[in-house]
Amino acid sequence: MLRQVLDCMMGNCLKASGADDVSLLREGAQPNPTSDPHPSGTRAHDSLPQADSEIEHQSSGGGGGGGVGGGGAHIYYPSPNVSRPANQLTEEEQVKIAQRLGLIQHLPVGEYDGSKKNRECVICMIEFVIGDRIRYLPCLHIYHTDCIDDWLMRSFTCPSCMEPVDAALLVTYETH
Amino acid sequence: MADESSMGSTSQAALLLKKQLAELNKNPVEGFSAGLIDDNDIFKWEVLIIGPADTLYEGGFFKCHLIFPKEYPLRPPKLKVITDIWHPNIDSKGDVCISILHEPGDDRWGYEKASERWLPVHTVETILVSVISMLADPNDESPANVDAAKEWRDNYPEFKKKVAKCVRKSQEDLL
Repeated sequence: MLRQVLDCMMGNCLKASGADDVSLLREGAQPNPTSDPHPSGTRAHDSLPQADSEIEHQSSGGGGGGGVGGGGAHIYYPSPNVSRPANQLTEEEQVKIAQRLGLIQHLPVGEYDGSKKNRECVICMIEFVIGDRIRYLPCLHIYHTDCIDDWLMRSFTCPSCMEPVDAALLVTYETH
Repeated sequence: MADESSMGSTSQAALLLKKQLAELNKNPVEGFSAGLIDDNDIFKWEVLIIGPADTLYEGGFFKCHLIFPKEYPLRPPKLKVITDIWHPNIDSKGDVCISILHEPGDDRWGYEKASERWLPVHTVETILVSVISMLADPNDESPANVDAAKEWRDNYPEFKKKVAKCVRKSQEDLL
């Protein structure tokens, strides 16, 4: 499941923010012709009457655990107890989320090669398999890219050491 | 608003919870016992917390329901104590109020730091360890039960009496 991370799927959300245009948030992922329709797409329709085929495509991509933006319809979590689809976000929330997507994009990714001390992803509690896509946080904790990206969209905090990722990123920039 | 979750992440949640249930069955943790309310629903747990020794709650058996969202571990479960209990951090409906069970993220008023809120590394075990330590050590800064918190501070003998009554009742309920 975790190795299903499709570059194109991940790339879509992240590229949207890379373009520095928050209006792209409204559109979410581009249709991905390689993904198969997925039953969860129907559920996205239920909750989002305005949903079009793009939503269906994105949720099918999210079937493997979801990329940035979460599985299913693109629901965002601008602050605790607040979850809304992109088209209901306030301007302030859109900016916050666009910035977050941009920052996540700047965190290094790699493939698990068995050389790290951490043997399992503490979010899904599944052992890393060689070749798994992993993401490094500034505190050097590693997670499956899928697992940590979904988490970072909700809270920009390392689940292991509770270090705020943005503060750690600033320190990294200053020292280089 | 209901959160959408893809089939993929739902089955990830179920898998993670099944793993924890199996592990807790194999290696029970001191202080509580955990199982499912209904064997067919991995998201609804029933937990019996044993009142920790050397606290007012010693000898009590507190039945709780731990209800996980489909987005676990990205979102926290809700914990409700079913047995009557008198504690500053448990409201009159039994809902347990501890910061690690609060929805994750940064709130704009900075009421609680993101690091004090829910983290996806929490398990049934770490949640219950926190709750057991809360029983021993109430936090009166943000009480869910204001009356209990006041009494705990200002009229400890009466607080003690009420807790003792809950403990006795919890023992009778179990018989």
